[in-house]
Amino acid sequence: MNSNIANTEAVSSPLLIEEAAKWEPRSLRGLLSQWWVPFSASSIFVVFGHLLIKSGLGAAAFTATSGSIWMRVLHCALQPEVAAGLLVYMLGSLCWMIAVAQQEISFLYPLSSMNYVLVVFASSAFFHESLSAKRLSGVGLIVLGMILMNRKGRVSEQ
Amino acid sequence: MIWISVTLSAIAQIFLKQGLSKLQKNRTSGGIGSMILGVARQPYVWLWGICFVLATALWLLGLQKLDLSYAYPLVAFGYVLVNIMSALFFRESVNRNRWMAVAVIGLGVMLIAGS
Repeated sequence: MNSNIANTEAVSSPLLIEEAAKWEPRSLRGLLSQWWVPFSASSIFVVFGHLLIKSGLGAAAFTATSGSIWMRVLHCALQPEVAAGLLVYMLGSLCWMIAVAQQEISFLYPLSSMNYVLVVFASSAFFHESLSAKRLSGVGLIVLGMILMNRKGRVSEQ
Repeated sequence: MIWISVTLSAIAQIFLKQGLSKLQKNRTSGGIGSMILGVARQPYVWLWGICFVLATALWLLGLQKLDLSYAYPLVAFGYVLVNIMSALFFRESVNRNRWMAVAVIGLGVMLIAGS
């Protein structure tokens, strides 16, 4: 049974043969054992979570202008939309943890920059934030950096 | 506020990786229950949790006043930090191309910070 799990992993993630060999037989199987599945789920949750958080914070801003810093944090976090957003975001973090256990951080982290593109355009669409040329080119550079980072220096090619 | 939050997040990632790597080395048996228990017992995972909570609190305060399309991409500065720290602490090999990419991302972050 254990050797079956190990075999499936070696096949499902050919880029990670070395990692898979180091990894003891484990219980997370199927979809979650392919790093890009928890990774994509994490991306969706993180973007959606932030939209909810920002939306809720807009409402909190009117009522929380004074008080200690922690009371302000608490007040923000207790806004229904913020709380829901944080929950969704936590779910994204859980997926991120599952992905991070399978891949090197310096490989996965750059990939998650797709979140920034999604968030920026969603902010413009939902919150009518104005996107200056400077801001857009900044995001463009981040994406360019992401592509550069993933073309060369992949963990599996070293 | 946003910058402290970003730095804390990057440190949190390093703690998480450290914790999960240790776990991976020590694991002897399967079972999702024992895995969750193992994760919860890792001190580094706790450190990650603390940094994560602090970073989130500061993030909420910062985000209240800033555009989401301004604040969120600033988190990309975390790439720069994580690459430096991964190279330092885990001795992950970060080649010249990746450093160049990190520089490009850093430039992008600076552009957004000035927008």
